[in-house]
Amino acid sequence: MVVLFMDHSPLPDRAAFPLLAANPELVWLDNAATTQKPRVVLDAERRFYEESNANVHRGGHRLGYAATEAYEAARQTVARFINANAQEVVFTRGATEAINLVAYSWGGSELKAGDEILLSTLEHHANIVPWQLVAQRTGAVIRPIPLQEDGQIDMTAFADLLGPRTRLVAISQMSNALGVCPPLEQMIAAARAVGACVLVDGAQGIAHQGVDVAALGADFYVFSGHKVFGPTGIGVLWGRAELLAQMPPWQGGGEMIERVSFDGTTFAPAPRRFEAGTPAFAQTVALAAALDWLAGQDRLAIAQHETALYQQLADGITYLDGVRIVGTAPGKGPIASLVFGRAHPYDVAQFLDERDIAVRVGNHCAGPLMQSLGLSQGTLRVSLALYNTTADIDALLAALEDTLELLQ
Amino acid sequence: MSAWPALPETLALPALMGRLAAAHGWEAKNRLLVQLARELPPMPDELKTDEHRVAGCEAQVWLLTQWQDERLQLWADSDSRIVKGLLALVCAAYAGRSAAEVASFDFGGLLQTLGLQRFLSSSRASGLAAMVQVIRSA
Repeated sequence: MVVLFMDHSPLPDRAAFPLLAANPELVWLDNAATTQKPRVVLDAERRFYEESNANVHRGGHRLGYAATEAYEAARQTVARFINANAQEVVFTRGATEAINLVAYSWGGSELKAGDEILLSTLEHHANIVPWQLVAQRTGAVIRPIPLQEDGQIDMTAFADLLGPRTRLVAISQMSNALGVCPPLEQMIAAARAVGACVLVDGAQGIAHQGVDVAALGADFYVFSGHKVFGPTGIGVLWGRAELLAQMPPWQGGGEMIERVSFDGTTFAPAPRRFEAGTPAFAQTVALAAALDWLAGQDRLAIAQHETALYQQLADGITYLDGVRIVGTAPGKGPIASLVFGRAHPYDVAQFLDERDIAVRVGNHCAGPLMQSLGLSQGTLRVSLALYNTTADIDALLAALEDTLELLQ
Repeated sequence: MSAWPALPETLALPALMGRLAAAHGWEAKNRLLVQLARELPPMPDELKTDEHRVAGCEAQVWLLTQWQDERLQLWADSDSRIVKGLLALVCAAYAGRSAAEVASFDFGGLLQTLGLQRFLSSSRASGLAAMVQVIRSA
């Protein structure tokens, strides 16, 4: 049983999140899909439009210069948050676009027929399909890395798969479907030992664990703003400077060029080379506000709080007949994927929704993972964030107990 | 296939509409849908093939249609009980109708009338839109 319930006062509470404050009954347990936004983030986006709105890197006027400064300051903020150089930070629409960028640009120019891409079986479709597309174009081959029974990477199998043909290993920091966290340090070291590049999908990990890309040793790291308390439509690709410098552009347009003529065009250096067209500058500024806000919190206390809530849930379901958490590897993030003896996850979610408890059901955009686990009905996923409380877990457990009785 | 089961009396459209209208609130409606799932004749496992599977639902849905004497016959099942309850309503609404009636039937309107519109707005998840599509092209 959990004995440690600390004073939650140092943690940001629901009052800081307008949607949660306006819906006191709502139990939001779908944080892996998207997080709710603190007021400071909403204010930052609104303030930008009200006070600084102008296109960036273009204006011949003071407002344009100020907007450009805010946009580039946001790049510095992101760089600080992940411990990178700002010139290695490319803004994208989200983690999905960031992976597509790497697959298209790096993959399209580097991969040849017979080269191998290793993907873990945990991966989200966003870290599978872009590689399938580039594999089709180049003749590269995708090799899935199998899992152990507890959902963790099978490191023996991984070691066997690595070889001179391995060009890239793409792996999640934290599985969106199970919460399992692969041993990145070991995997990156092993991949680098055979000369392979590593892309880490931080979409889930960033909000709970953050990242230090300098220490991580990977080549690419991606995340989405909206899963880390920021707005939608903005995400980040971090790439090693020497790799970004060699990668060709993937979309053409304004501001990614140095000089355009009909005889030929030369391109701007990274990161601008990868930011064609008007970027989502207001959202970029709001993302920086989200990261500044998160950096100002007691992140160790947040992690302990989330772990305590996860443990409360894991302990609570041992009293419920037939309920099981899928993926029990140690060191997991605060995500619990549940299956229920006879009851279908979709049916359970319908009854939870009635009680204002929001969860996600299905395959969580991780079809190969669900197939490997033999879960044709998918799972019901409970994903936590810093503003969840012991009362949220109590409400969920009570609702599960009633619902399962009804569906038995 | 001649051994298609007839819908029980309790699932005839007027009776069913009365029962759903009498269930007030989400919880009561959800409970009733679970009950309706019990009343809909189950499909044998050998018919639950990919060929009969309706794509685009959170739950697995199998739907068979055939025309007999120019009237539509339906046989449907799901591994989700709430979806199967909705399938009971789909069957009640469409079974025994002519092609012209099938084409003009407003299933969305029926859901609205019965206070089940949330399944319409989440129709991708519940698969209702996909089911109706399959029926209309039967």
